[in-house]
Amino acid sequence: MSTPSLDALIARVAGQVRRRRAEHYALRGAFWSSIAAVVALLFKTPLGGWALPLAIGLFVAGTLGGLLWGILKRTPSPDAARLADRAWGLEDRVATAIEWADRPDRTPLVEALVNDVISRIDKLEPRVAARRVIPRDGRLLPIPLALAVVLALAPPVPLPSGRLPNFSSDSEEAAAEPRADSSMMEDRKTPQAKDRLKPPSFEERDFASKMGGTGAAMSGDLSAIFKDTALSSQRPDFQSFLKKGDERLKLLEQADRLPDLQSDFTTSQYKMMFRKSKALSGGLKPDQISPQKLRELLEEMERLGRKGGGNWTGDAAEGMEAMEGGQPDRAMEAMQRALEKMRAQDEAGRSGKGLKGGRESSRSGNNRDRRGGEGGGPEDQDFGEGEGLLPGKGRSGSPKGEATQRLRSTPYDVGVEGESRRGRKDGFDTNLTGRGGAAASRLQYLGVIGQYRKMMEDAITRESVPRDFNSQIKDYFQALDER
Amino acid sequence: MTQESRVRDFVTAFEGLRAEVEKVIVGHRDIINHVLIGMFAGGHVLLEGVPGLGKTLLIKTLAEGLELSFSRIQFTPDLMPADIIGTNIIVEDPDGRKHFQFQPGPVFGHILLADEINRATPKTQSALLEGMQEAAITVGGISRPLPAPFFVLATQNPIEMEGTYPLPEAQLDRFLFKLRVRYPAIEELNTIIDRTTQARTVNVDRVMTGANVLGFRELIREVPIASHVRDLASTIIMATHPAWQHAPEAARRFVRYGASPRGAQALVLGAKVRALAEGRFNVSVEDLRALAAPALRHRVILNFEGEAEGIDIDTLVGQIVQSAEGVAVQGKEAFLR
Repeated sequence: MSTPSLDALIARVAGQVRRRRAEHYALRGAFWSSIAAVVALLFKTPLGGWALPLAIGLFVAGTLGGLLWGILKRTPSPDAARLADRAWGLEDRVATAIEWADRPDRTPLVEALVNDVISRIDKLEPRVAARRVIPRDGRLLPIPLALAVVLALAPPVPLPSGRLPNFSSDSEEAAAEPRADSSMMEDRKTPQAKDRLKPPSFEERDFASKMGGTGAAMSGDLSAIFKDTALSSQRPDFQSFLKKGDERLKLLEQADRLPDLQSDFTTSQYKMMFRKSKALSGGLKPDQISPQKLRELLEEMERLGRKGGGNWTGDAAEGMEAMEGGQPDRAMEAMQRALEKMRAQDEAGRSGKGLKGGRESSRSGNNRDRRGGEGGGPEDQDFGEGEGLLPGKGRSGSPKGEATQRLRSTPYDVGVEGESRRGRKDGFDTNLTGRGGAAASRLQYLGVIGQYRKMMEDAITRESVPRDFNSQIKDYFQALDER
Repeated sequence: MTQESRVRDFVTAFEGLRAEVEKVIVGHRDIINHVLIGMFAGGHVLLEGVPGLGKTLLIKTLAEGLELSFSRIQFTPDLMPADIIGTNIIVEDPDGRKHFQFQPGPVFGHILLADEINRATPKTQSALLEGMQEAAITVGGISRPLPAPFFVLATQNPIEMEGTYPLPEAQLDRFLFKLRVRYPAIEELNTIIDRTTQARTVNVDRVMTGANVLGFRELIREVPIASHVRDLASTIIMATHPAWQHAPEAARRFVRYGASPRGAQALVLGAKVRALAEGRFNVSVEDLRALAAPALRHRVILNFEGEAEGIDIDTLVGQIVQSAEGVAVQGKEAFLR
């Protein structure tokens, strides 16, 4: 069925739609291309004089692209017809006529409908059928545009070089001038290579590694490496680390030579010897002490002195001579002197290269000085009684203090939580929370539900319950049974 | 006769019949319109309202305006199916031989007023099922066609629950529309008083015959409907189902069972009549909106939560239609973007 005026109306509406689409997509294209232009202007430094023309080109291309896309997009006739119906209040006449005009199964009324539509079209006033739809992108367009103008007028933005920052002070200097403690590393290398397959003995780790005063590590002692804090004062040299590899990482590969971290390496030689001497004497008089054990202790002290260059070797030797001469009193005095010297050396070593901070070391040093003569153990000297890691003034074992009595004071502090039950049966599954949740129910629901169900069935039969509610009541009891 | 003149005739007949009814019935313009739409669409109408609002009078007046036979059945709890459809009785012929003869019940009429239909037992109510759907009654194994046009207008009282039997869903679904007769406004009440308390007799003229009604029914089926309007009708029906993926939240929460395909037929057929009655040759979205509530309010069954919360079914249907319009136009109106 030929309907030129109807087609003209559709074409008119479609033209309006095309214009609106062109505006719409042009705004969107302008927004995104202006963002691209901003990016181009950000790279003004590398792009040089090309940045501005490139930005303008991107903006124009994006806007024109959106415009073309909107113009070229097809508008289906039914959509245009519906728009026309809505715009002129034609109550779906145009859409129905367009759809039915060419259908083979059209009824006689369709012809009347088309005639009706055509007669109405002729009387239509020009009106905007397709309203303007400004996209969100379009509303935000001024922002990137303003940014682009600012960037175009401003001097080039300095850009990051794209390389990692050089943390080293000077790599060439580092290569030319060996680090202050590199001798220690070198010194360590040679004996390690020599004793490669020899597992370090426990005694060596225990006693020889604590030579903080000299700074020299014993052969096979790896724990000293991990305690080495001399590097901490230096600036990190990542370049040399990357090039050469860390000596420590290499040593970590020698799993069989790793230090025994379960042992207390922070305990000094003095503390070890002090502990042994205390265990030896145990409150006994000098003549009651086992001469054999006293001799062994003195020998060990002398060996340590010789090994580590301690100045208590003489005292230890004197004590051994006294033992040979059957004078345990003299031997004990010599041992005490040797212990005092060991402590002095230990103190000197800690003050320079200890792992602890200055305040802590000074405090512990003071404590030691203050309590050294009182016969307290080294552990006791670190922290006073009732102070230390635990907060507060008291001696509570719990760092958070005692628990509050809130729940005990409010016996009704219970709640009910629930969630909607899914499925056909509408309802809620509820659980009692709090103290009441664990309490047993006073009413044995499962025991009485059958009884109540029977009563319900009797009541439904006897009473004139509306039919629609019968099934709901039964569903309710069924749901109770399922629970 | 041109199509335009056929449509004009229909509009004239429709408005003429409405005018005759309005001679007696004051107000209730929508109710009268919907009753007429239901009749021309070939469906049956259930009127619900409290006593005294003129339901029965409306139907009686309508029957007077049509040259059609009219029967009235007052439904009571002791009414039996045979009282409606008729029964075989033993008769004696002039030769003295006895044989069974079918005595048709009041259902064999053009317009049947089933007054207070929910007072009869479900067994008796269901006696109307076959007649309403098939326009025929089977008695004693013999199917007897009902006269055409056959139009059932039933009334029921929503507030008296004692001694009533709510219509089962199958029976409800047979009704094209369920109309709610509400209280008249004060001006209408004044007019009712004036008309009914003065010595004045109103004569209702017969303006239409059964043949006219049947002819208009054929014309109505020729009304074209655009695909997007038909899609909206389907979407409305689907949106009444709580399990449908695009069903609105209200339907999911308060509806137990949604409308059947018969609901879609009622909606579209009613919309066609409405369009033609307005002199329009096509169905519009507005027709669907106007007829959604009468066509769906008895087909959407509320669940327990909906009944407990006193959900108004008309409001719910309105929300469903609104939601369906959003679903139907989605993707079609977005061509500007």
